[in-house]
Amino acid sequence: MSAATQDLGTVTRFRRFLVSDHVAGWAFILPSVVLIVIFGILPIVWGLILSFQKAGLISPEREWVGFENYARIASDPKARQAAINTIYYTMLFVPISILLALFVAHALNRKIALIRFYRLAVFIPVVTSTIATGIMFLWLFDKNFGLANWLLGKIGLGPFGFFEDPNQAMIALVLMTVWGWLGFDTIIYLAALQGVPNELVEAASIDGASRWTTFWRVTWPMLGPATLLLVVWSTISALQLFDEVFFVTHGGPLGRTSVVVFYVYRLAFEQGLGSLSLAGYAAAIAYVLFLVILILTLAQFWLGRRVVHYSS
Amino acid sequence: MKARLLIVLAVIGLLVPACTGGSDESSPTDETASGPVTLTMWHGYTDAEADWFNGAIDEWNAQNPDIQIDPLFVNNDKALQKLTVALQGGEPPDITYQFGSSLPQLAGAPGLMDLTAWTQQPDVGWDDFIPGATQAATFEGKVIGVPALIDNLAIVYNKTLFGQAGLDFPSDQWTWDDLRAAAKALTDPATKQFGFSYPMDASEDSVWHYDPLLWQNGGSILNEDETQAAFNSPEGVEALQVLTSMAVDDQSVYLDIQNSNYTDIFNSGKIGMLMTGPWDLPSFPDVDYGVEILPGFDGDHQSIAGPDVWSVFDNGGGRAQAALTFLQWLTAPEQVKTEDLATAHLPIRLSVAQDQSFLDEFAKALPGVDVFAQNLENVEQARPVLAAYPQISEAMGLAIVSALLGEKDPQAALDEAAAQTNDALALGG
Repeated sequence: MSAATQDLGTVTRFRRFLVSDHVAGWAFILPSVVLIVIFGILPIVWGLILSFQKAGLISPEREWVGFENYARIASDPKARQAAINTIYYTMLFVPISILLALFVAHALNRKIALIRFYRLAVFIPVVTSTIATGIMFLWLFDKNFGLANWLLGKIGLGPFGFFEDPNQAMIALVLMTVWGWLGFDTIIYLAALQGVPNELVEAASIDGASRWTTFWRVTWPMLGPATLLLVVWSTISALQLFDEVFFVTHGGPLGRTSVVVFYVYRLAFEQGLGSLSLAGYAAAIAYVLFLVILILTLAQFWLGRRVVHYSS
Repeated sequence: MKARLLIVLAVIGLLVPACTGGSDESSPTDETASGPVTLTMWHGYTDAEADWFNGAIDEWNAQNPDIQIDPLFVNNDKALQKLTVALQGGEPPDITYQFGSSLPQLAGAPGLMDLTAWTQQPDVGWDDFIPGATQAATFEGKVIGVPALIDNLAIVYNKTLFGQAGLDFPSDQWTWDDLRAAAKALTDPATKQFGFSYPMDASEDSVWHYDPLLWQNGGSILNEDETQAAFNSPEGVEALQVLTSMAVDDQSVYLDIQNSNYTDIFNSGKIGMLMTGPWDLPSFPDVDYGVEILPGFDGDHQSIAGPDVWSVFDNGGGRAQAALTFLQWLTAPEQVKTEDLATAHLPIRLSVAQDQSFLDEFAKALPGVDVFAQNLENVEQARPVLAAYPQISEAMGLAIVSALLGEKDPQAALDEAAAQTNDALALGG
């Protein structure tokens, strides 16, 4: 065999490799892979390293302290308060937003006039910026001049302090975020409802099932995958709540709405920039939150696999 | 949730210096630029302030082809956060506007210029700056900023509401009890009208409105060698009790949880008196207002100053030296006069503050601003310039807010804050 034919063989193999699905596939996803590595993987690794250091973000000094940052979390009353606030928020936000979305999706799953308009109206808050939502709710829920108190006053209730009252601020925040995210949950449920085969519902009613029984025995199990998705997704979002707190309450009043991610931000970017060097500690808290979310999500999926019915 | 990208970007900033290393020696260099340089300058000026600022820069750029200034707007409230990211990227601006309270955090930043030697040059006129401003620019004996702006707190009141209630206008002899009585008389729950307003976001804003009362009453924030909290003294508790009585017993205070609504509400004629600075005056076009110095305890009417600074970063190539040449021009009495007349900023130069013909013209520019200018004389003390100050401020802010909400009594609230302050001092120094 001559050298020329051998070369030709290499070239053909190379050309075949180039046109294979393998390369084309990687070429297509390369841009997103690069972005995910730069904006996702690298910061995750860097955050882990930071969590073992005593470091402020402004000064270049980094001191290795091992697990000291992690050990400190247990004895930090503000971290405990942030954790309690976050759990409180999540336990309110997740069930309320999902049940309400199920109800609204049911109401929107019918052929009536202007249905497209209603569906659009429900979805609009999702695409509205958090800042705009925040400004609106601040005035709506203003203790003295807000529309909410004025209306409630008409029926003899209130006035409520809402964001100004330490005991009501979190509930006001839940109301605001439920309103903001309801459209997303509703769309998911709406899609799932439309995937429920009509024959099943009809068969059930022919067999004499009441509407409630039909819903509970037929529709609800068919919505299982959607419910699982929403529970997992809402829990993750709720545990990572930040924007609304940052803009609307700034953790107040009296730290009652200071949630974990907001506390991390305050430590790393507001208080610990200089020689207090709290960025490492903040990274440690962020990592604990990450682990909690990971474990919760795995638990939800494990539970989901046992109770959720996937139709083929 | 939507801000996640922002946070990710900030974290990315951390990675860059890890890869590039970068030189972080902050030694002031004497080298001068060999050719023309363009300096990046961050500022937070808007509206009338921006008009003046951009005009001044155009004037400078036209006259100095070798040192061109490129201004970039950065919101003051987030200037420290943005600078943090820029520093991690190894590309700080040549000049940046910063709150005086941010300086202790900034002090360890790589490339930050030590200006102490520069201030000793006679043509800088360092001694002609208002003392409160130069104090705030100095951290642990090193000058790390050039005074940019100084404010103070006084009482701004609605003359119409005082007239309707048949009350005499506030005077420079007022006590806090006088203010409390007037606030009570001006309050009407039926029409949602309040006598007074207080920032309740538990930020430094909640704290520095309380500091003058503390100081007037003979108290202080920390003990003399700045190792222990001192604000929970009987004087401090009495000072907080005044505000608490107004907020809880009289219900005469609009508690502004957002610390932003009060300007609109005052401008709508629903608040009788504000304790605020000159920066708010342009927000009150609809109100016939007057300005008076703060009420006092035992004839002590001292106020508090909020000074901000220009910080300079050494990006090599003679840029830092060029930045200082420009700042010297920008803060010279000539420019300060133009600035103050255009923006109602208070004079940062003593020679300007004491110039009577200037003051006459200044009062015409914005009613009441001359009272603020004279009130600079009532600034006697400064807040501690310490790395732990942000944590002290947070503890005090929460104490003040919980007292004003009636959640805790002033003594208990301040004691708790004092314990947290002592912890922070022991930890961070």
